[in-house]
Amino acid sequence: MANETRESAQGSSRIQATGPGEVTVDIRTPDLEINFGPQHPATHGVMRILMRADGELVTGAQPHLGYLHRCAEKIGENVEWLQYLPYTDRYDYLASMNNNLGYSLAVEALLGIEIPRRATLIRIICAELNRIGSHLVAFGTYGLDIGAFTPFLYTFREREWMMALFEKICGARLTYSYIRIGGVFNDAPPGWFEEVARFCDVFDEKWKEYCDLLLVNQIYVKRTANVGVISRDMALDFGLTGPMVRGSGIDWDLRRDMPYMCYGEIWRDGAFKIPVARGEMGALGDCWDRSWVRVMEMVESTKIVRWCLDHMVDGPVIGEIPKTLKVPAGEAYVGIENPRGELGHYVVSDGGKVSIRTRVRGPSFCNLAVLEDVLPGSLVGDAIAIIGSTDIVVGETDR
Amino acid sequence: MDFRGIYDRLVAIHAPGLVKADEPRKADPKDKKDKGRAGDPFVLVEAQELARFLESCRDDDRLHFEQLIDLTATDPAKDAPDFWIGVQLLSLKFRHRLAVKALLPKSAPSLPSTVPVYRASQWHERECAEMFGITFVGHPDPRHVLLPDDWIGYPMRKDYEFPKEYHGISCE
Repeated sequence: MANETRESAQGSSRIQATGPGEVTVDIRTPDLEINFGPQHPATHGVMRILMRADGELVTGAQPHLGYLHRCAEKIGENVEWLQYLPYTDRYDYLASMNNNLGYSLAVEALLGIEIPRRATLIRIICAELNRIGSHLVAFGTYGLDIGAFTPFLYTFREREWMMALFEKICGARLTYSYIRIGGVFNDAPPGWFEEVARFCDVFDEKWKEYCDLLLVNQIYVKRTANVGVISRDMALDFGLTGPMVRGSGIDWDLRRDMPYMCYGEIWRDGAFKIPVARGEMGALGDCWDRSWVRVMEMVESTKIVRWCLDHMVDGPVIGEIPKTLKVPAGEAYVGIENPRGELGHYVVSDGGKVSIRTRVRGPSFCNLAVLEDVLPGSLVGDAIAIIGSTDIVVGETDR
Repeated sequence: MDFRGIYDRLVAIHAPGLVKADEPRKADPKDKKDKGRAGDPFVLVEAQELARFLESCRDDDRLHFEQLIDLTATDPAKDAPDFWIGVQLLSLKFRHRLAVKALLPKSAPSLPSTVPVYRASQWHERECAEMFGITFVGHPDPRHVLLPDDWIGYPMRKDYEFPKEYHGISCE
């Protein structure tokens, strides 16, 4: 009887699980459609994935987005250049500094203006601190998704300090609007740089705790290694960027390979490295590799921050920017390395006060598209691990 | 490779649909109406040949554009005759980018899908379709991606009129 069921199941099975995490189907069950979300803690926001499951096996997945859609791009065509800046805070709300930076750089590319050196260094410090904060959330809540509660509290301890630092420099904790077109909003308050240096020193000790607690924890490794493998070709074909592409073993980082601001100088000084996954715990490109890349990136970010602190110069932090900005006619695309990947801004101006197109290429949106292909063939429990490892921010997929 | 190098290579391999290169330039001091153009250079291609053009960009071993980073559309003005289709290509091997642009008449907004070339464009094309009303012929999954399925109109068009209500919810 048992043999019979197995044979008939194999005969009808539509799943061909291959690779290290092989799954054998030996019971025939009807397909079940599951609405994963929209209100589900593991979707990190409001997103729905329509999943089809055959027993414990996922046979199809269709992400449905748009629950947070605000049409930021249309707003960009209705407000002035400077007025759009606060809207950039609100797509990837975990990395608002980076969003401000991406938009400012794109508009500056059209304006063709020079940014004061001090402003550039402060911008990099803020962007890298924000990267640390964003990866702390990604790493901490990823543990939460797959059942480890404690590391989340540890990561939020450091993130709290990072947010306090931002509160000191710009008054906001989440939506900063600090990096402006032409520079930054204001200079750092007295003692701020010293505190940032102290944060880096403390962080250098703390990140080892995350490794002990979670990253090399056997339970964590069992849950993430060999799960959700994204091959090299798939990563390229789907246009993945950031930790997703480095997690698949592709050595690519815009900060080094297409440097903007003074990242090129920092790289030539040998101040930081690009962590690229090597498939240490299982197949290359699995969930573990992606979370390893994020942890190592935080460490590299502290090194970049230190370099900027060591090379800090005096001077103005913002150039002369008129209240009503008129941007020369033309179009520019600027992509920067956001914590989640390449954040691109494509801006088109006709020479007026308002842009005629503000396109946002959100990394989460592009990274999410790969789920349709990665989820089928995995177990329902692993689906949570895979979705968490893509580290999406729904505010950005929906914009 | 810089932009000139890429363009010369595209001419040399007879990339399908290639029209011309458009580079930023300073304003002509003699012509007062001329404002010049700021920003990045791009290549202009024919919209109907876009997919084949991208394929030749991807497969050529000196260009080697492995990734499509972005595909989007622009409605430049209410009375403009064309949409612009903008594509950003990236080569990880040679560390260069290329901006591709195609003009698509508003009277017949339809072009072959680029999904067979880069699967990255799948969601970008869905977004363009729902926001601008552009049809990508041969798209494997032409549903809405961000908007509700029953949304009327194309919000990113310049002549779009904001709805007064949606399912009994006032939008004013």
